[in-house]
Amino acid sequence: MTDCLCQISGLRKAFGDNLVLRGLSLELPAGSVTALMGANGAGKSTLVKILSGVHSSDAGNVSLAGQSFVPSSPSDAIRKGVVTVHQAINDGVIPDLDVASNLMIDRLAEPGFGFFLKRKQLFADAQEIADRMGIDVDVRQPVAQLGVADRQLIAIARAMSHQPSLLILDEPTSSLSAVEAERLFDLIETFKARGVAVLYISHRMSDIRRIADRIVSMRDGEISGLFEDTPLDYEGAVQAMLGHRMTDVNIEIPQRGEPIVELKQLRLKPHAKPIDLTLHDNEIIAVTGLLGSGKTDLAQALFGLRPPNSGDISLDGAAYAPTSPGKAIANGVFMSTKDRATNAVIADFNITRNISVPFLAQFSSFSFLSRGAERDTARDMIEALSIVCQSESDGINTLSGGNQQKVMLARWLVDKCRLLLLDEPFQGVDIRSRHDIGEKVRQTAKGRATLVFVSELDEALEIADRIVVMHEHSIIAEFVNRDVDLNEILTAVTGTAQKQLEHEAA
Amino acid sequence: MKILRRSVLALFASAAVGAATLGTGFAQSMPAPLDNPGDVKIALVRYLSTGDFFQAYLSGVEKQAEAVGLDLRIFDSRQDAALQADMVDQAIALGVDGIIIQHGLTESMQEAAQRAVDAGIKVVAFDVNVENDAIPQIEQSDYLLGKLALEQAIKDNGTEWKAGYVYVPGIAPLDRRHVAWEEVKAANPGIIEKAQMGTLDNPIANSNANQARSVLQANQDITVFFAPYDEFAKGVKIAVDEAGLSSDVSIYSADVSTADISAMREPDSAWKATVATNPAVVGEVSVRALAIMLTGENPGAQVIVPPTLITQEFLNANDIKNMEDLSANMPQFAHADVAMTEWMPLPAR
Amino acid sequence: MSTDVQNNGVAAKPKAPAERAPSSALDLAIRYGFLALLVGLAIFFSIFANGFAGPRSAVFIFQSVAMTGILALGVTCTLVVGGFDLSIGSVATSAMMLAAYMMVVLEQPAAVAIVACLVMGAFIGLVNGILIVRFKVPDLLATLGMMFLLVGLQRIPTAGRSISTGMVLPDGSTAGGTFDPFFLTMGRHRFDFFLEKLLPIPVVFLVVIAILIWIFLETTRHGRLMYAIGSNERAAALTGTNVKRYKITAYMISGVLASVAGMLLAARLGRGDIASGTNLLLDAVAASLIGFAVLGAAKPNAFGTAMGALFVGILLQGLTMMNAPYYTQDFIKGAVLVIALVFTFSLSARKAGGH
Repeated sequence: MTDCLCQISGLRKAFGDNLVLRGLSLELPAGSVTALMGANGAGKSTLVKILSGVHSSDAGNVSLAGQSFVPSSPSDAIRKGVVTVHQAINDGVIPDLDVASNLMIDRLAEPGFGFFLKRKQLFADAQEIADRMGIDVDVRQPVAQLGVADRQLIAIARAMSHQPSLLILDEPTSSLSAVEAERLFDLIETFKARGVAVLYISHRMSDIRRIADRIVSMRDGEISGLFEDTPLDYEGAVQAMLGHRMTDVNIEIPQRGEPIVELKQLRLKPHAKPIDLTLHDNEIIAVTGLLGSGKTDLAQALFGLRPPNSGDISLDGAAYAPTSPGKAIANGVFMSTKDRATNAVIADFNITRNISVPFLAQFSSFSFLSRGAERDTARDMIEALSIVCQSESDGINTLSGGNQQKVMLARWLVDKCRLLLLDEPFQGVDIRSRHDIGEKVRQTAKGRATLVFVSELDEALEIADRIVVMHEHSIIAEFVNRDVDLNEILTAVTGTAQKQLEHEAA
Repeated sequence: MKILRRSVLALFASAAVGAATLGTGFAQSMPAPLDNPGDVKIALVRYLSTGDFFQAYLSGVEKQAEAVGLDLRIFDSRQDAALQADMVDQAIALGVDGIIIQHGLTESMQEAAQRAVDAGIKVVAFDVNVENDAIPQIEQSDYLLGKLALEQAIKDNGTEWKAGYVYVPGIAPLDRRHVAWEEVKAANPGIIEKAQMGTLDNPIANSNANQARSVLQANQDITVFFAPYDEFAKGVKIAVDEAGLSSDVSIYSADVSTADISAMREPDSAWKATVATNPAVVGEVSVRALAIMLTGENPGAQVIVPPTLITQEFLNANDIKNMEDLSANMPQFAHADVAMTEWMPLPAR
Repeated sequence: MSTDVQNNGVAAKPKAPAERAPSSALDLAIRYGFLALLVGLAIFFSIFANGFAGPRSAVFIFQSVAMTGILALGVTCTLVVGGFDLSIGSVATSAMMLAAYMMVVLEQPAAVAIVACLVMGAFIGLVNGILIVRFKVPDLLATLGMMFLLVGLQRIPTAGRSISTGMVLPDGSTAGGTFDPFFLTMGRHRFDFFLEKLLPIPVVFLVVIAILIWIFLETTRHGRLMYAIGSNERAAALTGTNVKRYKITAYMISGVLASVAGMLLAARLGRGDIASGTNLLLDAVAASLIGFAVLGAAKPNAFGTAMGALFVGILLQGLTMMNAPYYTQDFIKGAVLVIALVFTFSLSARKAGGH
């Protein structure tokens, strides 16, 4: 712990007038995992980009093992022993190449590798790296055929083949299920044992609890808190990051109305157990489960993106079998999709236009748009959801992740619906925005049923009246969100105990 | 079904035999190797092919080749110089007896032409100088085309006028026509070139119309336009009409087609005269020159097809509507008496 | 622990773009730079090119850009949905051939020829759209294929001959039809507008089509959804937009506009010319890409496209008046395009993206 590997002092960085890092100082000891927490926009990404050689700093020093560290490029940073695994997995792997080439690609780019590929040698070297990391895949397989978790592990394995002294992981578990994340944590622990300093950036408290030796909180481009004493003061860290105490969410379960949506003997996969589920007016149900548990399939079936294998859905008593999002929306079923950057945000549009996209017909007569009506709605939404912006005509990409997500939600609150589907509404969202979003969803819950798909239990507990756990494409447990036993939910999520529906309290 | 097919086959067969006997019928008077029609294969290797001129040239080649009884293969490189050279090699590989090279670039064709000569193939070149003594040049005299048009311009307008000139350097026939323009300007100090323009962007007439509009706007004292290529002249005429200057500007050009004839004959047309060699005749001459070489004779190092002056007045006086009328009314346009021998069969007219 | 727990106010205020100067010199340059350049150019030529200033030369500059402008507006529609149409040039020349063929060879009246051309344009657009949307052929490749196909197709009916009154057909007979005078009027008639016989019909077509496309793209929800598709196709689909239908529509608009340009071309030339139309394509693409830079839009837009076409027109006509040879014009056209693209992708992007 005393062996300080990386010392950062007085680091400053501005983009135009926007001062992102304001003289940040930080030490990273070898052989320990430092968790870095910070709300969106606190400057985490900028810090990472400076350390990984993408940006250069305006002022301040970074030293690595006693020597000044000023990387001229990302590859220079890697050569000097700082390896970064970025958040977007696809930045880390090349899907069309096989696993071996992906593992070895940095080597291929090194001068002196030779002009021709020696395939056998390449596969052997790659296999060795994979074995050392405990990745169990055929190195001849194209990466495109692998799942998200394996891709992530390959990106990390490749990073580790450089024998780094500092490993930076930026939200590595954001697309991993709990089991997969566990594999990653094991891997991190072996690195730690080898004396690697790890900088671990995450929003997930569960990850931080599991892996961190020390916690650093960042706020407004500065370090706002450092926690090293065991037991770690997690609440203190959150508080330092947000500048205020995380409120305990107290869900008041309201009176639920008449049934709106009924799933009858719905099978998402041919051999999955059928799902029976009733969603009521003024009710918010969280669907949780591991990656691949069928959450996405259920959401897609309800939104007309993929027909279920068999079974029926009824909406307000009438049969409902949408064949496209357009048909779903016409029936009053709206969905805010996950992965907003690829699935939801229209980057060229400003806030107003992002909000009005699904219901342009409402803002137009004879197809001609009324900009005034659009603007008024946008202003109302900005107000209602406390979206932080200059005006309703700001570009969507000038907003932080949390505010972008609020805009995506606002889009679907413009019109009344019967069923609102929110797929991972808290993805890449800071805690403040998360509360705002949760609150707004609960406030507006009357007149519709709401289904929220989340992987994190915390999020489910914060928003839902009822929590439904999925496993292997069917529902294996259901809980009313009142004095829930976390362990019980967790066993259901991991599928270790076959919970029955009768377990439900009410 | 089967019966039908067989009878159709029979029909074809008899037609083929008929054609063959007919062929030998008039080929008997021809010297070897042309006395056995269909035995002698020739290739036409083209660089330029789009446009009325090249269409008409091709039809001349086809008709004359048929008349002589030659088996004609056509290779079209569409302005790809390297491909054109490759096509000569293809023709060699195909075992042709003679090759007509139609246009192209000296640099790319020189060696290919030499390879053909080395392979014992008779070669003639139209409108491209392959710098080879064994290869006769077929030329329409572009210099004369320009010269005759300008002489008519001087006859109509005197020797004191301001001119617009359409020219794109680097195109061989235009360069040769340009020589005539330079000579006429030097000889007549009263003729002043106020503006030069020109582009080969297609559609060529449309692009040149746009340019000519600007030129006429900028130089309102221009009374004569020398546009020595009919696509240029069409463009200039459109511009003149649009500027409402039809009676103030006279256009002199080179080349002719049916469309050109109707444009020249429009009421108040500014297009006063053009000078042309009948492209079909040039095609016929190319084949005749090659046929002469195949019999072992020499058509001469240069075979020049003389041009003909065609004035608006003549067209109106004889009520000429298309190329056929023109050929009928102008014998010197319908047939050029070059590359002729006693035995040479001519296409039917 | 250096945290001030109470002092939190509105989160992350310093990050908001408020602190950037709203109208810096750079912003102004991005917004109005191109229009200023356009005006500067017009003034320059007015002084140095004899006869440039005046309504008549203004009108023929418009006329010279009418065809490219109409084509460019079609390309703009396909660019808006994130596509590209390389076939417009050959659609235009095919329409020119078709119009001439209908009237000269088949001896049909103008109305039939016009309808045939419009139907052909829409049909080609439909095929392009279906290739792209249903058969997943990448847009550049699909429309490139269509371009080659049309370049060949337009030669088949006449065996490669251009079509003019009294032409000889492949079978040796002479075509009996002529261009309908009404059809020729489309390309040649000029309306009285301040001056007698000033305003040519193609210019009227250009202005009307530009306004219609502008209204469609900017003020209707269909245009808005097309922009949404161009920006993020998945997101648009997930908001219930029928992405396929809008994409096909964009290609059909492009095809129809190209056929209109082709008919105007036929009417101006009074014949059907065999031509690949690649110059038309390149000029049109240049105009719509230059349009990205107008008003700092950094996206395809109808007003910018019209300005882009006008810019190229002024430049070329002015240079011709100053006796500049054609190759310098090509060079300058290319240079303008490159500068406009730098404007669009570097400066405007810097303005839009914070981090």
